[in-house]
Amino acid sequence: MKPGKNIEKRIGQTLNSLDGIRRAEPKPWLYTRIMKRLDKEEDRSIWGAISSFLARPAVAIVGLCLILVLNGFLLFNEQQDSDNLAIEQVVDSESLMASSSSFEYENLVQP
Amino acid sequence: MNDWSLIEKLKQGDEAAFRTIVDTWQNMVYNTALGMVHSEEDAEDITQEVFVQVYQSVSSFKGDSKFSTWLYRITVTKALDHERRKKRKKRFAFVRSLFGDGSEVVVNPPDFNHPGVLLDRKEDAKTLFKMINQLPENQRIAFTLHKVEGLSYQEISEIMQTTVSAVESLMHRAKNNLRKNLETYFQQEQ
Repeated sequence: MKPGKNIEKRIGQTLNSLDGIRRAEPKPWLYTRIMKRLDKEEDRSIWGAISSFLARPAVAIVGLCLILVLNGFLLFNEQQDSDNLAIEQVVDSESLMASSSSFEYENLVQP
Repeated sequence: MNDWSLIEKLKQGDEAAFRTIVDTWQNMVYNTALGMVHSEEDAEDITQEVFVQVYQSVSSFKGDSKFSTWLYRITVTKALDHERRKKRKKRFAFVRSLFGDGSEVVVNPPDFNHPGVLLDRKEDAKTLFKMINQLPENQRIAFTLHKVEGLSYQEISEIMQTTVSAVESLMHRAKNNLRKNLETYFQQEQ
């Protein structure tokens, strides 16, 4: 069915309503806002690069191994320290006994 | 300074060249984005995104096409991405509202009023933009670039990376669809 004359006219008018349209313009200081956004994006991309580097399987495995080695090293060191301490304590007590016995020996009243 | 020397300077990280590029093409990018998304706030957001991408990926611009064609392509792609994101958000908000978590469903924005339309045609343009929104994507891009940006079919074919006859066909179908939709719209109004 053909549309009425009035409707046909309105359709034509509507289809031509963009004739002579002017370009819309953004708000002032667009460049400043773009630079601010760029700075934000660059910050985000630095952190993104760091996290994606850390998330690589090879890097993650090497990191885990390093932590384990460091842990082992610290445990071993602690064990050695405690052994050394025990030896030092034994030596100290022996030297104390020795010195006290030599003192007693020196202080012996000769008949 | 011509486009080429500007682009070469920007490739070397010259901020003054970037400023000139923004100043020269901001209206073109903004107007195209506005014609696509029908919201000033979203168009501003897209314009910023476009220039950020230009700054970051200018090294990938080999000069196979005009700089303006490359800019139009980025703008159209960003505008379409923006719309998809918005639709996804809308669907997600709707689903969440079904579960009654208090989030509101995003409603359609009010009728779009393009600031560049002549005063006596504003009402008709509002109706036309509403109908343009219902067109298939490719028809909508071609129609908007032709009517809102005033581009020729040749320029549109370069932006859409297709032939001139394909653009002619898209425009023909777009006009037919608009005519049909407007007819229904006006008949319902009476």
